[in-house]
Amino acid sequence: MPALTVEELEVRFPGLETPALAIPRLGIAAGARIGLTGPSGSGKTTLLNLITGLERAGTGRILWDGTDVARLSEGRRDRWRAANVGLVMQDFHLFDGLSARDNVLLPLRLARFALPAGAGEEADRLLARVGIERRGQKVETLSRGQKQRVAVARALIARPGILVADEPTASLDAEAGAVVAALLIELAAEAGATLIVASHDPRLLERLDRVVRLEAGRVRPAEG
Amino acid sequence: MFRLVAADLRRNALGALAIVLIVAFAAALGVAVTLQERALRLGSARAAAAFPVVVGAAGSETQLMLSAVFLQPAPLGLVPGKVLSSLAADPRVAWAAPVGFGDFVEDYPIVGTTQALIDGLGGLRGGQGFTRLDQAVVGAAVQLRTGDRFHPLHGQASSGGHMHGETTYEVVGRLAPTGTPWDRAVLVPIEAVWRTHGMEAHAGEEHAGEEHADDPHAGDAHVEETHTEAAVAGAGPAADPHAGVDAARVTAAGAPGVPAIVVKPRSIADAYKLRQEWRTDTTLALFPAEVLTRLYATLGDARRVLSAVAMGAQALVAAAILLVILLHVGQRRRQIGALRAFGAPRLAVFAVVWMEGFALLGLGLLAGVGLGYGAALAIAARLQAQSGVALPVLFTADDLTPLLLLAGATAVLATIPALLAYRQSPAAALRG
Ligand SMILES: Nc1ncnc2c1ncn2[C@@H]1O[C@H](COP(=O)(O)OP(=O)(O)OP(=O)(O)O)[C@@H](O)[C@H]1O
Ligand SMILES: [Mg+2]
Repeated sequence: MPALTVEELEVRFPGLETPALAIPRLGIAAGARIGLTGPSGSGKTTLLNLITGLERAGTGRILWDGTDVARLSEGRRDRWRAANVGLVMQDFHLFDGLSARDNVLLPLRLARFALPAGAGEEADRLLARVGIERRGQKVETLSRGQKQRVAVARALIARPGILVADEPTASLDAEAGAVVAALLIELAAEAGATLIVASHDPRLLERLDRVVRLEAGRVRPAEG
Repeated sequence: MFRLVAADLRRNALGALAIVLIVAFAAALGVAVTLQERALRLGSARAAAAFPVVVGAAGSETQLMLSAVFLQPAPLGLVPGKVLSSLAADPRVAWAAPVGFGDFVEDYPIVGTTQALIDGLGGLRGGQGFTRLDQAVVGAAVQLRTGDRFHPLHGQASSGGHMHGETTYEVVGRLAPTGTPWDRAVLVPIEAVWRTHGMEAHAGEEHAGEEHADDPHAGDAHVEETHTEAAVAGAGPAADPHAGVDAARVTAAGAPGVPAIVVKPRSIADAYKLRQEWRTDTTLALFPAEVLTRLYATLGDARRVLSAVAMGAQALVAAAILLVILLHVGQRRRQIGALRAFGAPRLAVFAVVWMEGFALLGLGLLAGVGLGYGAALAIAARLQAQSGVALPVLFTADDLTPLLLLAGATAVLATIPALLAYRQSPAAALRG
């Protein structure tokens, strides 16, 4: 479970006068459970993309236990992310036509040619853990709550040290959202992963250790 | 990875099927043109193989070849009887047989000839050869049975000829299949043909010369014509329709003229010498195979135009398909971005998109080869039913190169959308 140190990060997009993101310093302890909140357009998704290596930072450092993700090449960022980060997104991003189990195993299948030993059992265990009983069911026939639970299982299949979720409950009703929120927190703890969740959902945020509030790309002091 | 590709294709089954079909039809076009052209070439060359040398009256080589080998009715001049008699006596000649046309039964051409040609065509499959003037041997594909009797019709039944009611033939034998137009021919003794037309000349009908050149300038033919009538008129004893076949009468120096003589030389050297000797002012000697080759050379341009059209169609289809695939990749930006986000290396993304493209195009290509082959077979079957020429539809080793080239082009084409997917930023794709 790596710790994160962000230094002198600044992101500008063409057409925007102020930087979309300007963070002189932000530290997240190993194994911490951090919430990220702020108004729409404040830069939450941008920050998550940067710390997961989906987007490349122009200036600044993004250090995960000494690895500066901002300096890695695109191919190495892909590999680093595959090995260290589990992602859960607002719109599930499951692959229609594949079963729940195949969706969970997909990150492993894509990253290497053969599944590592025990991957199948791990997928079954995770699916059982998130409460999906029909593992062979095609994902397009699942309910939205079920879809997000499959996505949570998928995020954990490669045993990542970092679990990142961007608005994981925003497209779910209150009840299903609460289930997913609980699963994220419990499973991060079980896996010993550092958890970072961007969300507007107060019931999710109040269960986390600390909430970082972004406004216009800057960190505002918030209640922790 | 393969599961993902399969699931993707299954999800878009209808679109995928449409692409496969379009590619298949485009490929089939090219394949069918190539195969059909080859079938025609091989089929007609085989048809010509039984006719090493053909001798006829001076005139068009192509017409003589088409008439003698492919039994296409054409007005031909006659070669005098003494030509056949000297060929028959020539030591360099294995056999020489006359062929005389003009009459039909139903739509089958009646060919007057001798036993030598029956043997030269591959012999009989059933029954016996003709021994009397009122007997006939039918080709393998002729719908007449042994024992059937018929009157010859002057001109084709379908274009309204008139009946030679006084002549009757009885089918006594059937030729082995040859895969040539001769499968649709009815063979009778040449003397019977002379007799039929000779008798009619006596009845005062002005048509005995219809099978020769009607060109008034063809002086030779005209002279020969009178010669023919005279010879037939003089052939009194042969008028008996039940008389036996007499080979000596056919090759007698004073025998009537014939439109063409098929000659089987003893050796290749003999063939060249014979052709040389019988290329005179009044006679024409040719190798049908060579005339065919020349004919194909002149038709070569048409063939090239056809293949160019087929290739143009294929290029257009390729461009259209590429556009469709590019649009499809655009629609799948989010999916592809997600693949990357969940740990797929760029190469895996490239591979997934490439495999989908290649699977579709490759499948279409394969289906197209099958479809083209089927189409060529169907066309060949129809042509064979009409002409009797067996058209061998077959692939050769030469086809491998263009097919491999096409497969290679497909592989390259599939890399374009794959590269696009490869280069796309996952973060931007996930936002879109
Ligand atoms: N590629 C880009 N080009 C230009 N502007 C961008 C780009 N990506 C993000 N932005 C801008 O950066 C700002 C931060 O966007 P971001 O998506 O991080 O907000 P967010 O906090 O996640 O908002 P939401 O709560 O609506 O998801 C926005 O003003 C957005 O318009
Ligand atoms: Mg966002």
